[in-house]
Amino acid sequence: MVLLEVAGWQPRGYGDVIPSLKVAMTQYLSFTMKQAKILLLIVIFLLPLTLASCAPWGGSQSAGGWAGTVVYEGTVYVGTLDGRVVAINSSTENLEWAYSIAPITAPSGGLSCGETSIPTAIYGTPIVDEGIVYIGTYSGQVLALSMLARGQNLTFPQRGYGEWEWACPINNARSNAIVADLLLSGDTIYVSSSNGRVYSLDKEFGDLNWESKVLNERHIKLWTSPIIQDNALYISTYDGHIYALSLETGDLLSWYFESDAGFASSPVIYEDAMFLGSFDRYLYAVNISSSIPMWKFPEEKPAGNWFWAPPVTKGGIVYAGCLNGGLYAVEAKTGENLWEFNAGSPIVASPVLMANMLIVVDESGTVYVFDLNTELGNEAVPLMTVSIDAAVKSSFCAQEGLIYIRGDDNQLYVVDIDVGGIIWKIDLSIEE
Amino acid sequence: MAVWYLIIANPVLNVLVALTHLLGGSFVLSIIALTVIVRLFSSPLTKRQLNSTKAMQEMQPKIQELQKKYGKNQQKLQQEMMKLYKEAGINPLGCIWPMLIQLPIWIALYQAIMSALASTPESLLGLAQRLYSWDIVNQAIPLSSKFLWLDLGQPDPYLILAIIVGGTMWVQQKMTTAPAVDARQQSTNRMMTLLMPLMFGFLTLMFPSGLALYWAVSNIIGIITQYFVTGGWGYLRPRSPSPSK
Repeated sequence: MVLLEVAGWQPRGYGDVIPSLKVAMTQYLSFTMKQAKILLLIVIFLLPLTLASCAPWGGSQSAGGWAGTVVYEGTVYVGTLDGRVVAINSSTENLEWAYSIAPITAPSGGLSCGETSIPTAIYGTPIVDEGIVYIGTYSGQVLALSMLARGQNLTFPQRGYGEWEWACPINNARSNAIVADLLLSGDTIYVSSSNGRVYSLDKEFGDLNWESKVLNERHIKLWTSPIIQDNALYISTYDGHIYALSLETGDLLSWYFESDAGFASSPVIYEDAMFLGSFDRYLYAVNISSSIPMWKFPEEKPAGNWFWAPPVTKGGIVYAGCLNGGLYAVEAKTGENLWEFNAGSPIVASPVLMANMLIVVDESGTVYVFDLNTELGNEAVPLMTVSIDAAVKSSFCAQEGLIYIRGDDNQLYVVDIDVGGIIWKIDLSIEE
Repeated sequence: MAVWYLIIANPVLNVLVALTHLLGGSFVLSIIALTVIVRLFSSPLTKRQLNSTKAMQEMQPKIQELQKKYGKNQQKLQQEMMKLYKEAGINPLGCIWPMLIQLPIWIALYQAIMSALASTPESLLGLAQRLYSWDIVNQAIPLSSKFLWLDLGQPDPYLILAIIVGGTMWVQQKMTTAPAVDARQQSTNRMMTLLMPLMFGFLTLMFPSGLALYWAVSNIIGIITQYFVTGGWGYLRPRSPSPSK
């Protein structure tokens, strides 16, 4: 090809400025022609391989994940960047237990032809119920971890303690990864998988109740969480649908909603309406009874980016964070913009409500607390602002005046609203 | 790195995504269209390169004469050939530019394919920060990575694409590589003509098939252009020696 021609070109006429230089150049090029060809081949060969194996260029695999935090009876449960589920005592600030999920084996990439072991990423927030911690993993497993068994560091799974593991089938898809939060309702856990199906599992034993058909043939992965309302399971898809499934069988119900653009976020239900963000940079409100869109926000031109995180609702108001850094308070019935705030950095995690406070953490790691009792005006001013100096994409939780945030630096930060700052933090990569 | 994204990577990504929307959601057609656009942009340089090749072709008898005459004196041979090229107005460096233009496009396209297909949650989230606020772009997201048996974000699991890439590259190369009279040069040329297609065929097995598709389409366009500019198959069909007068 072109490069070959360059390499294989017999004469090289660079040196006609000074005759002596020309001769020297010709001699040199003639002498080094062979070496140049070899060098050229090596460069051509190595360049793409280097790109493929170099992380900043997007070729390598790492654990990653943005597992959220949950607090249950004084203990914080969270997935870590090194593929573990940990329990941290919030009073003593000590690690109670940690469970390492089996790592994923993947091709090394680049020049290496071997395999490498990567910690399993966790994206979902654990669910805690009756002494069991449920978590979905990027390796396609749902784990039920007993607090008692893990506290004693017994071999997993201890059936007698209520532990189980369930491996999601790949079903001809490329991946069975579980990215979305699990949904627990009654005795059932609902799982959406990257293979495009929703699964219903028995909470006690992890047995499969049913699996849905592939909901989304074109953009197969389901990275959004389902939600339940009136005996139906609703789930949004990347091809712009919201489907309703039967809770008993997983069959598609006749209800559905269709949009021109794919849905970026999981839906949230308030009264008879569903709210969710779309890739076309609007927040949609859909009436569940009629499956007719109520409004889309902003009314005129779209927001600067996607409404990635599911919004939260309270008192007839929808609070939605946007990847353009905006936080919007929108009237649930009309879609009217009540107030907004610009965080200046993308809002990846859903806002959290605690009593009359609205808490938002942006990607740069700044925590904003708004007092919903006060008149916020058109452009809200936060009650307090705290910076944790770490990027944040994970969902966070708040309880009794404390905010629990897992940073992208694999640390757990605890912010006290009364104190107005971080009261403690812990490195989640610590060993027991 | 920020400059790289601003000037090359993000424009390539956004054009690719916008084309996907315009072409009915087909990412493959978008890659093909982008290849055509890149080839169109580099066409003045490509044309110059092809004209050089054509001129080389026409000068071949003279070069062979020189090789016969000064075969044992490499230095003299180089000087005489250089003189010949200068008289014919051929710039050997002219053929580098189409390649230099395409190299960053390859890298940007590789990144764009990996980003646009968003095979991981991180890459989907990262995509939000790289897309322009054009409606046409945001309405196309997320893209479908399926095409026939291929997952465009993954290497072709079969050898089909590797054979197409290697085969088309070999044909294109064969069309432009002038035969050498010198036996050593001839064997080097033969080796190089084989090595590059083999290497790209091998790379096809390791890289996303979307990128390999770009290589294949680019080669095919190159062959067609070359055929019409140089008026035939060039050195692919060796010419019979003209009868001496």
